[in-house]
Amino acid sequence: MLWRKSWLETRTRFLIGLFLLLLLAAGNVLEYPRVSALIPAARSLDTGGGALGGLIRKAVELQHDYRGFIWWQWFRQNLTQMWTLFAVLLGTGGLLSQTSGGAASFTLSMPVSRTRVIGIRAATAVAELLALALVPSLLLPLLSPAVGQSYAVADALVHGACVFAAGLIFFSLAFLLSSVFDDIWRPALMACVVAVVLAIGEQIVADGSRYGIFGAMTAEVYFRTGGLPWPGLFVSAAASAAMLYGAAINIAETDF
Amino acid sequence: MADPRTIETIDLRKSFGTTEALRGLDLDVPAGSIFGFLGRNGAGKTTTIKILLGMTRPTAGRARVFGLPADAPESSVEIRRRTGFVSEDKELYEYMTVDEIVRFTAAFYPKWHRDLEQRYLRAFELPLAGRIKALSRGARTKLALLLALCRGAELLVLDEPTSGLDPAVTEEVLQALVAHVASQETTVFFSSHQIAEVDQIADRVAIVDRGRAVVAGELEELRERYRRIQLVFDGGAPQPAFRAPGVERMRREGRVLTVLSSAGADRIIDEARALNPVSVDVVPVTLKEIFLETVSAED
Repeated sequence: MLWRKSWLETRTRFLIGLFLLLLLAAGNVLEYPRVSALIPAARSLDTGGGALGGLIRKAVELQHDYRGFIWWQWFRQNLTQMWTLFAVLLGTGGLLSQTSGGAASFTLSMPVSRTRVIGIRAATAVAELLALALVPSLLLPLLSPAVGQSYAVADALVHGACVFAAGLIFFSLAFLLSSVFDDIWRPALMACVVAVVLAIGEQIVADGSRYGIFGAMTAEVYFRTGGLPWPGLFVSAAASAAMLYGAAINIAETDF
Repeated sequence: MADPRTIETIDLRKSFGTTEALRGLDLDVPAGSIFGFLGRNGAGKTTTIKILLGMTRPTAGRARVFGLPADAPESSVEIRRRTGFVSEDKELYEYMTVDEIVRFTAAFYPKWHRDLEQRYLRAFELPLAGRIKALSRGARTKLALLLALCRGAELLVLDEPTSGLDPAVTEEVLQALVAHVASQETTVFFSSHQIAEVDQIADRVAIVDRGRAVVAGELEELRERYRRIQLVFDGGAPQPAFRAPGVERMRREGRVLTVLSSAGADRIIDEARALNPVSVDVVPVTLKEIFLETVSAED
């Protein structure tokens, strides 16, 4: 029953996220013919020097084939950014934010431990986030024939799994902050700020995208070599576990 | 031998920063009693209840329910398995329907009374398909009470169960409570600042003020023990120091000296007669008067 309660509490955020991501995934695939027609002209553009010029050249170069286009548009941008936003949103809420509404008293009067309550809440959100990473990504191989292309299911699964595994750190951060603040806005805002700072930082620092969290989420190393971004995945998993543990301790120690 | 006390607190203390919510609260709630926990707003009633149910940890002292320590996480789960609770705000999950929250709650309690559930659903006229957020405060209170009563609980903890209700719904809720207790072996611990309803259904009371129990005992016994002794003098009333124990409060107003005694009124009257009053009147006091006298005496 706690599973159902957690589902009822998070389903609106999850379903909105799923709808938007499915829409974006379909849009990405159906946009390909138009983008591919522009690539030859884009290649002849003088993008100038500097980081921005380099980034444009890289984008044009990578998108000359369908696999590169999907990676650049979907896994590197749309999925990573939108999924991170919904990871933060699904990480907020929970017992402490229900204190002001009073429903926390009802939950806490049930014969279950607090650890179990928030454990199930976290597990529900994690399962939803896995679905948000995989389901829209699996739409790509399904829709690709519509534009005369194909995309490997294995690639969709591996990239989706990397977004999920590395990006869980943002969910865990929002979850930890939600065990400290009794509203949903401060944890959401703070976690989003951290995500933006990390994303910018990885762009600025040399090799940042190779070893950073977003680097692990976008899995450029898998796209280029077929290997997995283990350092980023390991760091994210360890940090996520530590933050979830911290949230459990916080809630267990809180006076309601 | 089973502990005859369902709830016991000894020197229970709780501080929130520099604010002392409980300052050495001692309580004994015998099994099977209907225990009224009276106090003004902010007296420490809700804090006590939260400690008993493991929602808040005490700063010091001891709280035991069914003989189990309330501040140990494992025993707290066991305490809650055997306890029905209605919180002061009666907030439930607004996104659920009546039927959903009944099913949700029933799943945690193996002794859930399906027959009672059906009876209270009909008696309280609760719409099964209705969303909780659409329910009136009265209906929400009735639903919270249903969820507490049907658990097959040995202890009902009710925090201001009738606050915010109109008199008709208050009466309906109290009647349901009394009828339930009469048919089930349940201890009821309910907090209130509505003296009339405590007077109506409780058999034992504790009056708590500023985190301490200032009066506790069987209601009938308190009514027997407490007396107001009114002495009228020819001139100004003296300010005697009675040697007899049980003088709770004295008030001088012109020629009249009023003494509130909690025990041994006869000895106090004997001493009072030695002061040569013109008249001595001894009258019983109501729970409301005991409450007002003891609580205001603390000011």
